[in-house]
This record gives sequence, structure tokens and C-alpha cells, in this order.
Amino acid sequence: MSTVISTDAFTMQNVSKSFRYFRLEGLNLSLSQGQIMGLVGPNGAGKSTTIRLLMGLLQPETGSIQVQGHRMPDQGHVAKREVAFVSDEMSLFTTATLEWHMRFIASIYPDWDEVYARQLLKRFNLQPKQGIKGMSRGEHVKSMLLLALARRPRLLVLDEPTSGLDPVARHELLSELMQIVRDDTRSILFSSHNTLDVERISDQIAFIDRGRLVDARDKESFLERWRRLSIDVPAGVTLPRLAHVVDLSLGERLATLTTDHYEPALHSLLEKSGARVHEVQRMTLEEIFVASVMRSRTEGES
Amino acid sequence: MKSSVFWSLVRKDLYVLRGFMIATVSVGVLSVFLLSLGRIGFAVGGILFLTANVASGIFIAMYSLLTERKDRSRAFALSLPISGAGHDQSKLVSGYLAFGMPWLLLTGIAVFVVLAGPSGTRGMVVYALMIQVFVLALFSVVQASLFVITTEALSGIVILFTNICFSLFMVTVNQPQITAPLRTAQIVWTPFAQRMLTGELAVIVLTLAFVAILTSRKRDYL
Repeated sequence: MSTVISTDAFTMQNVSKSFRYFRLEGLNLSLSQGQIMGLVGPNGAGKSTTIRLLMGLLQPETGSIQVQGHRMPDQGHVAKREVAFVSDEMSLFTTATLEWHMRFIASIYPDWDEVYARQLLKRFNLQPKQGIKGMSRGEHVKSMLLLALARRPRLLVLDEPTSGLDPVARHELLSELMQIVRDDTRSILFSSHNTLDVERISDQIAFIDRGRLVDARDKESFLERWRRLSIDVPAGVTLPRLAHVVDLSLGERLATLTTDHYEPALHSLLEKSGARVHEVQRMTLEEIFVASVMRSRTEGES
Repeated sequence: MKSSVFWSLVRKDLYVLRGFMIATVSVGVLSVFLLSLGRIGFAVGGILFLTANVASGIFIAMYSLLTERKDRSRAFALSLPISGAGHDQSKLVSGYLAFGMPWLLLTGIAVFVVLAGPSGTRGMVVYALMIQVFVLALFSVVQASLFVITTEALSGIVILFTNICFSLFMVTVNQPQITAPLRTAQIVWTPFAQRMLTGELAVIVLTLAFVAILTSRKRDYL
């Protein structure tokens, strides 16, 4: 088996794909080895399409995709030796047991780690002899994750992995994911609605909406650059025109300004105009996501 | 790779479809036993034998292709290190094996029963082969169509079509002018039997070619 050494776990360049009622347009996205990327977007944003393109299950109309140094979808069968993919729109074979699936996957992947698989069985409280048909949604998701994790993939691609999991199982899964990237040659891409999950474990975050990439950068940049300022605006004072204002709502005396390029110099600019910065709030990833999407939609409509 | 993913998927399908295969052989063997129990037994056994063959083909093709799409286990199979075309080809091979092994066994039993029966009707081996190869051709049509069809409604139409075809076929081959020349001690390949078998084999080859072309042109798999 030939191994291609690549510094990126994957790269997508100018990737487009059209469906009858949806178009993914000019997507540029990449992830360095050893990093976790959270792909965040509302329903129908294009997260699953992005992941299916990445896995070679769809052919892009334009652009190029490389996964672990392999061109997709042409070399997908080679790339998938090093990639594990779990989706909430995926099911194991319902007439078989989990144990059968473990043997099946072990027969295909040389790096299958039986000891780790047994540990995960205990940690996820799964019964190997249990048939897939009789499993709850949560048990089913955990079984798929066990089969993905124990093959020790170099890239783990998870489409809404925490949907259907209870809070404890979700916590266990996220802890496992963070363990995986301790080895800095392994990477994870996961999509989620849940910005708390994404904020907890991601190094890189990409926002996607209506088939377009809204923003993508490292988590710290997002959290450090975005701020919400409460500003006292006395009567007769007009706020100056400022760059990088994502949202500005004016009350009688109080204005709320959201910026994606916060720097302390902003205070002096505002105070020069006679306004006073009353409070500076850090924003949660969810707030940043909503503000980014709203801005993107406004720009798109205008 | 420890083992070929292609053959792992074929083995997986045979495992998943094992219930249908065992049921087909069991019902087929039971029906052959019934054939020896007088006129009514012969009629019931004959109907059961044909039903086991035809129904097995429909169930195997439906379960292997349509159910896998419906219950979303196809996405799991496609996540394995195999191309989309490779995955489709594994479905084709496993479908033929899952249907073909019981079919071959039952065909062998049918031929044996005819040859071991009254010596004056040994020629009916040709009749039995015409029916069995027709059943194989029907399976090929159902399986090939399910590579394209993704809805239960359309698959229902295909099943209806195959049932009509099978009924018309049985009416045709049971006409006295077709069966009479075959009720002989010698095996005679009548011109009708030759044309019918050629046509049946041509259908099998065409459906195989259709699936081969389809899988080579397909680009999106989910």
C-alpha cells in the first residue's frame, strides 16, 4: 500500500455542485494535519453535501478535492483507507450484530485496534451480541463511532455525530475525539448544529450558509475578534462611521454594536465622538455564527 | 488492505441475504417432495416450486438494492475503501450469487426429478430448463432495474411487469403444440425451445451490459 505524505488532511478548491433546488458554490476549505475543524451551518446549508463531496460520494462540477493527498473522487477508494466517515444519515446492516460488524471492519482495515474497540464497547456501554435492529438511536450512533474510531483513521469525518446522543454520551464522544488528535498526524472534520460542541473541541471553524462558505478561521481568531459593545450615546451625539461593524442597533440612549475586528482603539474612536463604551462582551460561538450568517445573507440580498 | 473490500462486501451480502437463500432451497425441496404426492400434490408442488424461484429473485434483488438504500446502510458500505462503481459491481455479483446458488441447486433437482421419472418424459428436461432460465432472466431484469429505480412505487411496477411476463410465458410454454414434442424419451431441442433459450440468455447478457454501462457512467452515489 502506497502512502502519500500530505501536509493537509484535505483541501477543497473552488468546489461547486448543483442540485435542482440547491447549489454549493465556489467552496474553498482546507484542514492541516492534527487539527479539528467544526463545520457549522443551519439546516440545508450544504454541510452534508460538502462532506459527501469530500468523501468522493458526489462528483464536483468545478474545482478540485484532495483527501490525504489523494484526488477525489477518482482516488477515493485509496483515500478511504485512511479516512473514517460517520453520518447521522447512515446505518449499519440491520440484520447483523455489532460483533459481526467489528469482525467485518477488522477484516478490511489493517490498523483495526481490537483492544481499543473493546475499551470503547465498555465506555459506550454497548453489547457486542446485540442486533443493530434492536438498538436505540444513541446506541446505533455509538456503534458506528466505535467502528470508525477503532480503525485508527488518519482523518475522521463526522456528519452530525452528536445528534441522537444523550449529554453523557456526547461528552464521552467529544473527549474521545480530543484524545485522537493528541497524535498530531490525525485530523477530524465534523459538522454540527451544536455550536457548544464545536466550540469545545475545534481548532478551526467554518461557517456555511445557503451553499456558500461564510467564514473559516481558527477558533481563537473568531472568539478574539468578535465583540459586542454596549455604548451610551448622549442626545445630539452621532456615532462615527466605523469599519468592520457587523450590526448596529440604536436605542434612545444605548446602542449595541457588533464587530468582527475588535481592537481597543475602537474605544477612543467612539469616545472622541462623545459616546461612551459602557460594556464590552465576548460573544459565544453561536452568537458569532448567527451574526456572520445574517451579515452574509444581507450582503447576498443586497 | 487485509482482504479485498469487493469480496468482503460480496460475503457481507451473502450473509445478509442468507435467510432468503435458505428459505428458497427449503421451499424448493419441500415442493419437489410434494410433486410425488398424487395429482393435487403435483399441482401444489409445481406452483410452490415456481413461486419459490420467482419470489426468491424478487426478494433478493429488492432487499439487496432497495432496502439498503432505504435503511441507509448503503452510505455505510460506501464509506469503505471501494469506489462507487466497485460497490455497485459487488452488489451485482452478490445478487447473482445469492439468487444463483439456490437457483442452480433447484434447477439441478428439477432436472434430476425429470430424468429419474418415467423414461417416456425425459425430454421434459428442456421444458424445465426453459422455465428455470426464464426465471433467471426475470431476476436479471428486476436486479438491473433496481440499479436505476429508487422508489418503492416504481419497484412495484417492475414486480407487476415481471409477474405479467411470467404468466404470459407459462401460458405460452404450456400450449400442447409446445409441450407435446418434448414428452419423449429422448431430449429434443425443438426450434421453439432453442429460440426461447437464446432469447432468455440474450436478456441476461443485455441486463448485465446495461448495469456495466450504468455503473461506468454514474458519478453521484448518495
